[in-house]
Amino acid sequence: MTGAASVGANRRTLFLEVIQRDETTKAVAQIAGNVLDGAEVENEARLLRAAEQAGVAVPHLLAVDSEMGTIISEQVEGESIPRRVLRLVEAQSGLGSKLTSDCGTALAKIHQIPTDDLRNLQDLAASDRYADEMDRLLESLTTPHPTFRLGVRWLRRHEMDGAPKPTIVHGDFRLGNFLVSDRGISAVLDWELVHLGDPMEDLAWLCLRTWRFGADDLVVGGFGSLEELRSAYEGAGGTWRKEAFQWWTVARTLWWGLGLARQTQAYMDGDSNSIVLAASGRRVVELEYDLLRLMED
Amino acid sequence: MIDRPDAATLLKAMAATLSDEVLPTTSGGTRHAVRIVANLCRILERELAAGPAAREQTRQSLVLLLDRDATLPELVADLDRTLQGSASIDDTTDDANFDARVRELLLADVERRLAVDRPGYAS
Repeated sequence: MTGAASVGANRRTLFLEVIQRDETTKAVAQIAGNVLDGAEVENEARLLRAAEQAGVAVPHLLAVDSEMGTIISEQVEGESIPRRVLRLVEAQSGLGSKLTSDCGTALAKIHQIPTDDLRNLQDLAASDRYADEMDRLLESLTTPHPTFRLGVRWLRRHEMDGAPKPTIVHGDFRLGNFLVSDRGISAVLDWELVHLGDPMEDLAWLCLRTWRFGADDLVVGGFGSLEELRSAYEGAGGTWRKEAFQWWTVARTLWWGLGLARQTQAYMDGDSNSIVLAASGRRVVELEYDLLRLMED
Repeated sequence: MIDRPDAATLLKAMAATLSDEVLPTTSGGTRHAVRIVANLCRILERELAAGPAAREQTRQSLVLLLDRDATLPELVADLDRTLQGSASIDDTTDDANFDARVRELLLADVERRLAVDRPGYAS
């Protein structure tokens, strides 16, 4: 082991070197925190291999141990921390554009990964199930949130043009979850939330205001324009559905707002004394604002 | 008989001390926590100045909308129940008008809270 471990919600990340004969390869080991995660790890490995085959930039898998809940992959060079990426974009002319088109291309390829061998993925395609899930989250909060109530109602009242057959959806593709080099995206990370669903969900999530980290004018992660993203996505074989993009933008804004409200609830219930959770209560209003503006028309 | 400095002044000083003196000596998770605490101090300073008046404005606009006088938490709960109920009502002109008034009220309330929690976000 060569590097410090970072501790996430369910996993530990270790940096190490894999030595085979004369070759030393820098690697990253992700170790699941519990038995359930171990089973998911097998799925994730299968998905990473499929993504690599489909031409998506992902860390190359070196070893998988589903019993131990461990995935070891090659370390990829690059920066993922949002504010640092945005500084790189500011400093290098054209990088923002390149990143945006890399995002479009990567997502198009992810959405075209064949689903046949990836059976165990959760199917979250039906939009009315999504609204039900939002309702459940809302009911779990001990204080009322009228703006979010309006949001759920909006989702139910706005049917969108026909969703395609269930497709591989990354589930958390946004600034902070891919590595960036001076040539663009060097690897797409954080595949834990992958599921079967509507591909426009990924595109909407990427473009949420909350993921622009202050550079609010550039819709795609604070570094690119929607037109560039769409152009790259369609150029790589993706189908862009405008109404669905709008619906998912409302849905994911609502989801994130409710998520922050839930974090606050956990703090208020005494499940945690983390100042980060306490403070998230004062971020909820930002998502309420985003939601109200999105529902205008 | 009147304490000095007042709460607002102390919160300002706390934020400045955290940002200027403590933050540079920290790193990683601790640095993150210090940033958050400094920001919360600034939020509370703004809340002391503008909070009570903002809440009263929201309360009064709810009194007008719901035609009932009560505390802010009671009125918010009322509004939420009303919105739950309207999910099954067919769209009528009255309902659409009520909807528009609700959204206007909510947006005004959110903008007042943003002035405390995240100035500049709504513009």
